[in-house]
Order: sequence, then structure tokens, then C-alpha cells
Amino acid sequence: MIETVDVWFTYPDGTTALRGVSLRIKDGESVAIMGENGAGKTTLVKHFNGLLKPEKGTVLVDGIDTRDTSVANLAKKVGLVFQNPDHQLFSSTVEEEVMFALKNLGFSREEIRDRVNWVLKFLDLEKYRERSPLSLSGGERKRVALASVLCVKPKILILDEPTIGQDAKQKRKLGNLLKKYQKEGNTVIVVTHDVEFASKYFKRIIVMAGGKIIADGPPNKVLTSLTILEESSLSPPQVTVLSYEIAKKVNAFPRDIVFFDELLQEIIARLRR
Amino acid sequence: MSLIKIKNLSFTYANAEEPAIKNINLTIEKGEFILLTGPSGCGKTTLCRCLNGLIPHFYSGEMQGDVIIDGLNTKEHPVYELAQKVGLVFQDPENQLVSLNVEKELAFAPENLGLPRKEIRKRVEKSLQLLRIEHLRYKAPYELSGGEQQKVAIASVLTLRPKVLVLDEPTSNLDPKGAKQVLETIKELNEELKVTIILVEHRLDLILPYTTRVILMDRGEIVSDSTPGKVFCSNIPEEIGVDIPVSIKLYNELSKMGVKFNKVPLSAKDAAELLTEVFK
Amino acid sequence: MSYTMFSAFEFKRKDTYIHRLDPRTKMFMVIVFMVIALLFNNIIPLLITFIVTLIPISLAKSVKEWLNSLKGTTILLVFILVINSFVRDLNFAIAMVLRLMVLITAFSAFFLTTHPDDLAQALIQMKVPFDFAFALSMATRYVPTLAREAQTIMDAQMSRGLELQKGGLTQKIKNLIPLIIPLIVNSVRRALSIAESLESRAFGAIKKRTYLYQLKLKKSDALFIIFLTSYLLLMIYIKIHFPFTIWMEWKFPL
Repeated sequence: MIETVDVWFTYPDGTTALRGVSLRIKDGESVAIMGENGAGKTTLVKHFNGLLKPEKGTVLVDGIDTRDTSVANLAKKVGLVFQNPDHQLFSSTVEEEVMFALKNLGFSREEIRDRVNWVLKFLDLEKYRERSPLSLSGGERKRVALASVLCVKPKILILDEPTIGQDAKQKRKLGNLLKKYQKEGNTVIVVTHDVEFASKYFKRIIVMAGGKIIADGPPNKVLTSLTILEESSLSPPQVTVLSYEIAKKVNAFPRDIVFFDELLQEIIARLRR
Repeated sequence: MSLIKIKNLSFTYANAEEPAIKNINLTIEKGEFILLTGPSGCGKTTLCRCLNGLIPHFYSGEMQGDVIIDGLNTKEHPVYELAQKVGLVFQDPENQLVSLNVEKELAFAPENLGLPRKEIRKRVEKSLQLLRIEHLRYKAPYELSGGEQQKVAIASVLTLRPKVLVLDEPTSNLDPKGAKQVLETIKELNEELKVTIILVEHRLDLILPYTTRVILMDRGEIVSDSTPGKVFCSNIPEEIGVDIPVSIKLYNELSKMGVKFNKVPLSAKDAAELLTEVFK
Repeated sequence: MSYTMFSAFEFKRKDTYIHRLDPRTKMFMVIVFMVIALLFNNIIPLLITFIVTLIPISLAKSVKEWLNSLKGTTILLVFILVINSFVRDLNFAIAMVLRLMVLITAFSAFFLTTHPDDLAQALIQMKVPFDFAFALSMATRYVPTLAREAQTIMDAQMSRGLELQKGGLTQKIKNLIPLIIPLIVNSVRRALSIAESLESRAFGAIKKRTYLYQLKLKKSDALFIIFLTSYLLLMIYIKIHFPFTIWMEWKFPL
């Protein structure tokens, strides 16, 4: 479980990125942290694996204060995948790339072998095992970067802007993959401003603006509130925009629909009358 | 004479086994607003590079076929000449803004052409006005938001007075606010100044209502080239893995069930209006 | 730490007399201080010169940044003090430390107050080829970008369990590989991307490039140059007639 208690954080250049953030993320949750650039999302998740330590307040991971432990130690529990895979990849083969974290964290040779096999299969990367990660395409590199963190099987998996540069098919694959990983009992957290991706695959949306949390709830409550969207400069999901436009013209039409199938059913129901 | 004419274009990057694009045949007229999209690796970026001469002059490889820009064959003219016909804006603003401040950034391209100072000044002022960024004149790149940075990148390319503006995923690195800013700007450039636009973009819902034509690519080839309505009502987008805007998806699903509409909705407002008609 | 050491040479935009001076004037300032620093081996004249170099720093309201540079080079200064004490004597060592401080402060005053683009423009007007001056200003423009990228790479690899402090010397060197390779690869990728963008904006179209802004020397430049020249001539005169007064030869009592 991750718990933050009134966390404040200011960067050396003077920008205060977090202004009293308190939240609790229980094991097995799927959370999307959203907001415009500069809202504090990435700063917040960097506190979850100890890269940043709070200026004021506390961050507890499974009850341990992040100030009392090292990043490497937390890396066994909290996996953080950065936005640009090219900031991670350096090995001569995909296999070695994946082994990097496992070696650092002291896994035995058998465990390393098993985990490498597992993660390459899970992410459909077996055919690239002996290839140099730097020679792969953008989408493939992103999968290798994910694999290199996922192999640790962290209880808490965090991805920073995983959908940038991905096409529809890749996003669907990723969303389903994350759902699968979460169903195994793990916590999955994404930082994103892709509102379609967040609404489709995540049950809890935390919206940040100006270093504070301004909303925290399910997509159909959070992503349909005009005030929250306005304050965070996010756009609502397409389905919500559509339901809102329809509600303007049609009596008693619900304006807070987030899922396409719901919208379709609602319209069909009315047509049948 | 068409503004851009592409005949049987294929290109294979040096050291690549497969061509990145093949059998491309396209004609583009002045004033069009073309949306170019397709799954990752389909060749959109390669096609963009063919439009201002980066291919074949900057990227080595094997090029077959011809690209004629406003009468100039790209094989026979250097990039700096073609850049005055077709402006190319890239994805990452960080790698496009190289100067001390916005004003100097806008002066960069005309300075490269050796234009007299008065002309440079004129073009800089015009670009600042066109994109409504006069208030950013003395700001440094790091002082600008993502959306502002891309607007400056666009302004900087426009100082060469190109007839065509090609933008390769200009909103990918931006948050929704920045993306909206940039897409608004592009729409205005096309509507008010009649700049021909070729936009590579994944966020279709925001821009589709303003486009006149959609070109879908997959594995190096053009698989669909028509009006937005026709392209997204076919099976092709789903087959190649491209998301269909929700308004059109709704139209498709309801049409399958026998509901009749008189046109294809490209925006949420359109869809809402059509539905009210149907509900009656 | 090295970050603070570099920050002392990074341009900070401020509106001061020194910031407004032409880069060429400031180049002259650095040369003058360099020449004077090399003229003398004695503590007092070097101390005076050092105090004089503080004038542009304080006029530029950049004392904090300059202090950072001294913090970063403390080790170097101590090293010079110790080595020269053994090679010659303590007085010579102190003089050498002061000489280095004069040089650091003079260069600091230049880089803190001169924007890389203005420096490039100055070089161009001094007939340095455009490609060279442009490469120089681009390098400086992207230093903060690279620094940020290096930090992100470090964060990413630490998140995979990399511990930079652990292990002996060989391990510490091995640990640099996951940091250096991504940095190099990304820099090359970035360079290619920038080159594409430059090319698309007619870079290299013709040899005789024109410029929107020209640097022109102003009255304030002329005054500063006169001041610097007088100071230089004064110090040369003192050197010729050294020791001028007895207290110039003052030595540290040992």
C-alpha cells in the first residue's frame, strides 16, 4: 500500500511541485493520475519509489517511510517505467537488458532465467531476445523498457505517460496487459493525460492541478465534471462530449456517460420507445 | 497544375530490407486540409520527408518515382529551395527551437536565405501576427509552454512563405491544452489564410470536422484516400488498427441496425443534431 | 558538486550594466585580467586585481552564482596551494591561488553575463565562420537539455536497482555504462532531429548569410574599454617599476 501524508516538494530551482498531497492507494488498485504538464504528476510518482524524498510530510510504502530506505530497496516492490525508453536501454541484447534489474536486485541465476522467460513471453518479445534493443522500432523499444521493469514482478507498477507515440492497436494491447497484471493482485498506476486510455482501463482517476489533488474517483464521476476538467485543462473522453451534446438537445438524456457501449444502449433504448 | 503530384513513389532507407513506402500516387490541390494517419510504422513520416526534399537529399536510400512540388521535381532541387514551398514541422519542439528568443527563431530561416534585413523584419512581424504570438517575442524557448513552443515552430517555418504546411504528429508531446492550441492554429491557417495543410495526427476527434480529405496508410502503402465520412465508415480503419472517432462509430453501429441518417457526423455536435432528427 | 561548478558559468538573464555590454567588450575584459594575472607573482598586486574583478561581478548582481563557482573549485584551489607550497614556497602558492581566482572570476563574469547567441554573433562579426559560431551557440543552448536528460537517465537506472555508490572502483566505473550509453545514443538521435529541422529551414542555403540583429558598440562599451585599458596600462607601469612601494612586496609571515 502507498500512503502519502501532506507531502510538499520543491525543486532546487524553486518550483514547488507538490503542495500538500495526501492519498492512499491500496494493493491491487488500478489508478490513473491525470493533469496538465506541470501539475505535479511525475513528481508525485517519483516519491513512490524514493527517487524524491518529501520536503514536508511523509511517504509510506507498505508502512516503511521512504526516507528510511534506498531507491534500490524500494525497486523490489515499486517498478517505475519512464516515458522515454531510450533513457533506459543500453545493453547489447534484449535478454541482457531485461536481466539488468534482476542482477542489481540480487536474484539467483535460476530466478533470473525463469523471470526473463516469463516476461519475454508476457510481452511477446521472445523473437527479439538476441537482438540489440537499440535497433528495434519505437513501439518495440517501449515494450523492452517495460519488460526490463516488469521482470522484477513489482507489487506496484508505475508507468509514466505510456501511451505517447503509440497507435490505437498498441494502446489496446498495453491496456489489456496492464489489466491482466493487475488481476494477478498487483497495483498498477499510470501517469497520463490520455483521457481515452485512462477512462477505458482504470477504475480510479486522480486529477492534479497546481501541485494538489483536485479530484479522486471513478471515471464516470471525475471525467464528466466540467469544473474539474476546466481546472485541470483536461478534455473529457469523446463519449462524454457526445453524451453532453446529446443531453443539450434531448430531454433527460444522461450527460455523464464514459463508455461507448453504455451510450449505444441508452440511444437504442430511446429509439425503441 | 496541382500543387503536389506524386507518381509511383517508393523509398527504401539505406541498410533497410524493405521499402518504407511503396506505390504512392497522390495529387494535392491548393487549400486542401489533409489528415494523414495509420498505425505505427506505416510510412507517414517517410512520406512527409519526401514532401520537402529531406528524402532524397538528407536521408540516403533508394528512391523510385517522382515528387513534384509546385512544378519542381524534388530530385533536382535542393532542400533549401523546396523548403520555400513546403514547410515541415516536427514532433518535438525541443529540437526545433534553437535560438535565444522567439524573434530570433523566426528570423533564422530568412537569415539563412540571405534576405535583406528589411525583408527579414517584415517576415518576422508577419509570422508573429499570424500566429498571435507577438506577446512572446522576447521569450526564450524554455519559458514557453509546449503548445506555445509548437506555435513558434510553425511560425518559424512560415517565414519561408511556403504554400504547404506539413506537420508530423505536432501534438504528440503536448498535453490536451497544448494540443488544442496547436490544432486551433492549424485550422485557422487553413481556413483564413488558405494554407494547404497535411497533418499527421492521432487525436482525430478534435480536427476531423475541419479536414477535407483523409489518407490512411498501412505498411508503406495508401489503403484509403477519400473524404473523412467515406474513410471512417468503411472497414479499413478497423482492419489496420486505427481508432474511429466516436461520432462516426456511433453512426456506423446505428446504421448497421437500420437507422437512417442523411449524412456522416464528423463532430459531437453533428452527431447530436442527427440524433435529435432520428428521435423525432 | 560539479553541478554547482557549471552553474557559475551558465548565462543568467538579468538587466545590469555588465549584461548590456557588448560581448566583445567583455572578451577584452577577460583578456585584460588574464594579462594582469600573468604579469605578477606577488600576493598584493594579485589580491588587488582579484578585488577589481569583483567589481564586474557585483555590478552584474551575480555574486551568488560566482560564490557557487568558488565552492565547486575549492578542491582545485587547495590542491594548487599545497603543490606550490612544496615546489616553491607558501607565498608563491598563495599568489598562484589568487591568480587562479582572478581567472575564474573573470571568465565567470563573462559567461554569466553573455548569452551564447550574443557570443556567437560577436564571433561572427569578428569574422569567425558561421558554422563554427553556430555550433558553439547550439552546444551551449543544449547544455541544460543534456543535464536534464542525464538526470532522467540516472533516475531511470536507479529505479532498476542501480546503486552508484556501491562497490569498488571497477564496479563504480562499470556502473557508468548504463548512464553513458543512453546519453550518447540520445544525443546522437537529438542531433539528427535538430539537423532535420535546420535543413527544413534552409540552413546552409547560401554562403553570405544575413542577420536581423547586429551588435554595435555603445557609449557604455567605450567607457568600459577606456577604463580597462587605463587599468591595464597602470598595472604594466607598476610591473615595470616594481616594487613601486615596499608594501607591494609584502609576504605572508611564516
